[in-house]
Amino acid sequence: MTRIGMDINRRTLLAGTAAVAGTLAMPAIGRAQGAPIRVATLLPLTGAGGPYGPVMGKAVKAVVDEVNAAGGILGRRIELLGEDDQTNPEAGVRAARKLIDVDKVSAIMGTWASAVTTAVAPLCWGSGTFLATVSGADAITALPHQGFLIRTQPNTTLQGRKFGEFAIAQGAKSAFFLTPQTPFADSQFNNIKAAMEKAGGKAERLIYDDKKPSYRTEVDQALAGKPDALIFGGYTPDTTVLLKDVFRAGYKGQKIAFGYSVNAKLLEGVPPEVAEGIYTISPSPAEGSNAYKRLVKLIGVNNPDPYTTQVYDQINLILMAIAAGGDASGTAIKDNIRKVSQAAGGAVVDNAIDGLKLIAEKKAVNYDGASGPCDFTEIGDIQDCQFRYEQVKAGKITLVKIA
Amino acid sequence: MLSYLIFALTIGGIYALLALSLNLVWGSAGMVNLGLAGFFGVGAYASAIATGAGAPVVFGWGVAALAGVAVGLLVTFATLRLRDDYLAIVTLGFAEMVRLVALNERWLTKGADGISGIAAPMKAELGTSGFNLFYLAIVSAIVLGVWWMLTRLDASPYGRTLKSIREDQELARFAGKPVLRFKYEAFALSAAIAALAGALYAHFQSYFSPDHIQPLITIYIFLGLTAGGVGRPAGAVAGGYAVLLFIEATRFAADVMPGLQAVQVAAFREILIGAALLIVLHLKPKGFLPETMPKAPKP
Repeated sequence: MTRIGMDINRRTLLAGTAAVAGTLAMPAIGRAQGAPIRVATLLPLTGAGGPYGPVMGKAVKAVVDEVNAAGGILGRRIELLGEDDQTNPEAGVRAARKLIDVDKVSAIMGTWASAVTTAVAPLCWGSGTFLATVSGADAITALPHQGFLIRTQPNTTLQGRKFGEFAIAQGAKSAFFLTPQTPFADSQFNNIKAAMEKAGGKAERLIYDDKKPSYRTEVDQALAGKPDALIFGGYTPDTTVLLKDVFRAGYKGQKIAFGYSVNAKLLEGVPPEVAEGIYTISPSPAEGSNAYKRLVKLIGVNNPDPYTTQVYDQINLILMAIAAGGDASGTAIKDNIRKVSQAAGGAVVDNAIDGLKLIAEKKAVNYDGASGPCDFTEIGDIQDCQFRYEQVKAGKITLVKIA
Repeated sequence: MLSYLIFALTIGGIYALLALSLNLVWGSAGMVNLGLAGFFGVGAYASAIATGAGAPVVFGWGVAALAGVAVGLLVTFATLRLRDDYLAIVTLGFAEMVRLVALNERWLTKGADGISGIAAPMKAELGTSGFNLFYLAIVSAIVLGVWWMLTRLDASPYGRTLKSIREDQELARFAGKPVLRFKYEAFALSAAIAALAGALYAHFQSYFSPDHIQPLITIYIFLGLTAGGVGRPAGAVAGGYAVLLFIEATRFAADVMPGLQAVQVAAFREILIGAALLIVLHLKPKGFLPETMPKAPKP
């Protein structure tokens, strides 16, 4: 019995090997010619960023498949590689080295945690690989990246200003900012303060430890100066605890928080009266834009998170930049990315397929994406982005405005 | 491909140093140290801050080792009454403390942004690929040196005393050995080696942040040392290199497994790493290079 089984196995194996060898020997008819263009994602598939990475990867793959089906770029197929950064800078660097040294990719996109991006960025500019990231820490675009880096996430300077301006618009003269220690705690506060002071108001802040079970002393300290508005800079778990303590203290003023912390999960975890009336602000994907609708259809996810809309824009931009430069190197992407993202007087496009056609006709294009207009400053920050203002009413998050 | 191999061997050397450090304190002296990442971080920050203030890199490495000794003594002092699981928990907490200090003392460590642009010795003179080779040579030489030193230590009366403390510290005390002093010294030396590994890492990558001090690296080193052979420096070195090379090799397994989505490949890699350890421990319960116990001389 064993012998026969082995024979069959060996025969199957031989047949299989022959078939594979045969495929390789076949001429590449009907496929795009030439060596493939290699680009890669470096996403958080495990670790703290694990919930985001898989969907982001799906969006990138959908775009690459689409462009390959339409004939590739410069007559070449696009090969998409992917590695897991494990939401850890040490592991992220090892993954990036493999992509750069072994696979020789032209571009890496999707790095999520700020520490991973900062660790990987020097490898990229050192080797002439283009890096597109969704990390928010301000320091990233201040690195000496020589243009090899762009980010689609609004930096915290822009976000902080929006919080300050909104507090003023709500009639608050004084605000108190409660935040854990994050890479953006400082710049966030400085910009809130600047926006408040410009309108004659004032702002104070307190940095707390985000793993404490109770924040009574912190709340007492925050409420001592009777601020008109409390601004919450934390994440969902600590903001949940904080809101309960603020409610217990009988605070009646304005409450403003990030959209990613006061979310459906938080509302499930607190009694309705605790969260009632909180305003939330978040960078808004360009919902209703053509690119956004296309993305929804492409990946079959109804409300893609901001990171997914951003990485979708990154791959579209990178592919068009390669076509516009007529070259697949990281340097060509660096030199041409702004020619496709914000060419003055360029035809507005919302996907790479249309853009590539126009580029082939030597026309200028201006990409407007699913995350926003995607126009970049000299150092690689986005120039503007819409924000979404929402309020918790009767236990539900309801839209106030997008502006 | 070659530059990638050079890179992997350099990081492998740093893992080997960490495994040697863990082997000294856990394998020889029997004190479980789950705070390895913390000492790694202390060394990286000490050297980054010292060289950032203008000190030469070699001096920074010295500062890192001294910082390791100081922190090692402190941790031993704080855990004198603890053994086994309790010691493990406290050392795990120590690593988290280091992370929190690095995160919050912005004036010193630049907080969550981390310290970037840490001096890479001779990089300007040698160019990127020259630097990588040069650094591989330095790290390998240090691994060899530390390995040689610890092998000598292991074979000496000092090493035997450490092992007797591991086996039964009451008995060692009864035999007249100053158990406390041995514990202080072993922990401090081990911490110094881990801190040196951190400093080597920081100057190789030019960037270090509180996120580097996650328990992930501690777990990899425990895996490596267990597979290599606890209680034997050669096992630690082999295990350190082996775990890194194995983790890196699993990346290429994805290429021969078509049809899996990226997230499945990521999960699959972690399964492979876990499965490999189980298999090694099943076939070789004491690791590939098990501890050797010289027979007692006849009277």
